[in-house]
Amino acid sequence: MTRSLRQLAEDRGLRTRAVADDELQASCPEAVFTELVAGLAGPAVLADLFATADDARRPRLTAVLQLHGDPQWLVLSTELQGTTFASLTPIVHAASWYEREIWEAHGLEPIGHPRPAPLRRHLSPGAPPLRSPSAPEFPAGADPRPAFGPAVEGQGLVQLPLGPVRSGPQESAAFLFSSGGEDLVQVSPRLGYKFRALERMAEGLPADRALVFAERLAGTSSFATALAFARAVERAAGIAVGPAAEWTRTCLAELERVRSHCAAVTRLADATGLLVASAQYGLLTEELLRTAADLTGHRYLRGCLSIGGADAIQPSVVPHHLRRRVDGWADRASALRALLDETSTFLDRLDTTAVLEPAYAERHQLVGPVGRASGADCDARRDHPYLAYPGLPIRVPVRRDGDAAARLQVRLDEIDASLGLLRRLLDVWIEAPGPMGPPELRAGAALGWAEAPGGETLAFVELDSDGRVRHWRARPPAVVNWHPYAHACASGNNLTDYPVIEASFDLSVAEFDR
Amino acid sequence: MSRWIACGLRTGTRTTRFPRPAGVGDDGAPSSITCRWPGLTPADALAAAALCPTAALTATGTEAAGTLRFDQGACVLCGRCVRAFPQAFAVDPDPRVAVRDRGRLTLELGWEPGRPPAPRPLTRAADAVRRHGHRLFRHSLHIRHVDAGSCNGCEAELQMLGTPYVDLHRLGIFFTPTPRHADVLLVTGVVTENMEAALRATYAAMPSPKLVLAAGVCAIHGGCFAGGPTTVGPLDRCLPVDVYVPGCPPTPQALLHGLLLAIDRATERAPRAGEARDGA
Repeated sequence: MTRSLRQLAEDRGLRTRAVADDELQASCPEAVFTELVAGLAGPAVLADLFATADDARRPRLTAVLQLHGDPQWLVLSTELQGTTFASLTPIVHAASWYEREIWEAHGLEPIGHPRPAPLRRHLSPGAPPLRSPSAPEFPAGADPRPAFGPAVEGQGLVQLPLGPVRSGPQESAAFLFSSGGEDLVQVSPRLGYKFRALERMAEGLPADRALVFAERLAGTSSFATALAFARAVERAAGIAVGPAAEWTRTCLAELERVRSHCAAVTRLADATGLLVASAQYGLLTEELLRTAADLTGHRYLRGCLSIGGADAIQPSVVPHHLRRRVDGWADRASALRALLDETSTFLDRLDTTAVLEPAYAERHQLVGPVGRASGADCDARRDHPYLAYPGLPIRVPVRRDGDAAARLQVRLDEIDASLGLLRRLLDVWIEAPGPMGPPELRAGAALGWAEAPGGETLAFVELDSDGRVRHWRARPPAVVNWHPYAHACASGNNLTDYPVIEASFDLSVAEFDR
Repeated sequence: MSRWIACGLRTGTRTTRFPRPAGVGDDGAPSSITCRWPGLTPADALAAAALCPTAALTATGTEAAGTLRFDQGACVLCGRCVRAFPQAFAVDPDPRVAVRDRGRLTLELGWEPGRPPAPRPLTRAADAVRRHGHRLFRHSLHIRHVDAGSCNGCEAELQMLGTPYVDLHRLGIFFTPTPRHADVLLVTGVVTENMEAALRATYAAMPSPKLVLAAGVCAIHGGCFAGGPTTVGPLDRCLPVDVYVPGCPPTPQALLHGLLLAIDRATERAPRAGEARDGA
């Protein structure tokens, strides 16, 4: 019998408090925090690490942990005495970017971090941390304006910068290619160009208004990100959401997953030059967007979610029409998949392209289709059941090849699975309740989560007694999944593979930058 | 490969006829929120402004005498006003929302004792706005897109322009990877500190004459990101803007209308009743 997360924590002398069936909270002195998190992150997984600070009290450092097979989350926090803390990165590699974010946002220095450099504010040399202009600038010795990641040098190697302005209608990000002519020796991404400081801007706003920011964190996963935020607020304030709202939210989340994956396949087919497939999946994407607009009044499902569960589905929607549309998509998706599976010119481009080994995926604790294509058996819908998912059969496709082909297959599997879930969901049509008054909010702090199209998305929200957002931490899947990108690019690929690599990962820049 | 060709042929033509006939869109998606002021009471106007999460609805004064300013350029279409006051605010699916004059996106309603809310003429510098698009690019337009700090919603819609439903190539419009070949700079997102230099450099690298199109509320006004600690501000603080396409994100057909407006192949939607008094 394996031990639960609660038992593991108690073994280490930690007293936990259950704020809900699926969430434990605990606090510990600063001196033992790093040791505790490092010890727990062996059997368990470090899902997030962040700092919260305001003028009224000392900064707090919080780690979110989860254990495979245990539906409970552990939120462990500590109060910092000064403006430094012991870095976790030398022991837990997944903490590296989190600590750099903490440093640039709050001016809290991770002592012992192997590469202390700004993550997102790299073009604002000398910019003080966002939190307090009086806090120290980036620690002495750090290059305020670093180039890309570590460079590769050698005879015959050329450096080729790409971005931040891209060649097509794409998101802004910069990449430095090191190439010996044909082969791609290294790709160093530099992100953060689009840093809007969204979580910071939402502080002090009523939760209902901060939801507008959560919906605009990333366009391709608007609904899932907003859902994680709304659930965090509801859990923090102890608001129960009715079955109708849970059902509606489940339907819309699955609709968003199918749409997002279809758009990803569209881009991948386009990158490989398979234009008919790109057009066909583009048609599916547009139909899914139009259906979203019919259902909620917004193509990207914005504005339909509300805290407390008075979610708006347009009354004009006819259930059996919708069911027929879903059936049509499922038929077309499987016909297109059969065609893709026999197009050797297409599959040849994907096989063994940008391989990410399962061991690497495990070390970085990857999530979503990118993780699942590299053997990471994780899905928040199954591991931490929420909404209507406990009653639904969740199939989690896992492959171990870790190449572009595996990532495509996982997405195609998920399109089929999500359309199957939608068909089951639409067999029972739950009428939305009538208009509800604004919910009563109270002080509290809780974690909210959802399985976004790109993987598990987390939101930790702390509410003031008047229902305003005191702190909001968003950890969308791209924050985790950008980490191994450079490694996968350097797995023996050619320069001409690059568009295929980028499309096969389909990582959101906005989610990373926030 | 022959099976793909057969698959494509079987699908038939799915492309919209937009901008014909008469410029009516057919995707049914909400493109803007409009204000029907005869249904608005001063109390509702003040309450609606308090509900609005951005600066799209701002009110001054009291129920006795006051002003409501409605700026479509800041409206993220969250629908809060529509749900609370359906008699005064409505969702409009007409994709022809693009304008050349930023001022045309705003509506100012005033009320006094005995006089219900009614539009006030807008004050603006009429000659600062180009009355016509660039006819030079009527037959072929090349777009250079820059994401200055968006949520990726606008890019997702821009990518939909290439799908068979919209197919912007049929209109002689193309994306180009280089600013040297570009006629129009299409900018999405609120301009962030980190993107400002790249944005200016792209504009400088384009040959003249050149057009600038601000796509989406973030580029026009900032939307909910206006005044953020890491942003520079809306696009027209950095570059001269020729066409504004509101929306969050603007739908593919709204983007298409904006592009056609920039090259004088489409016209702005008929002016609202309140604007007739403005003499323009």
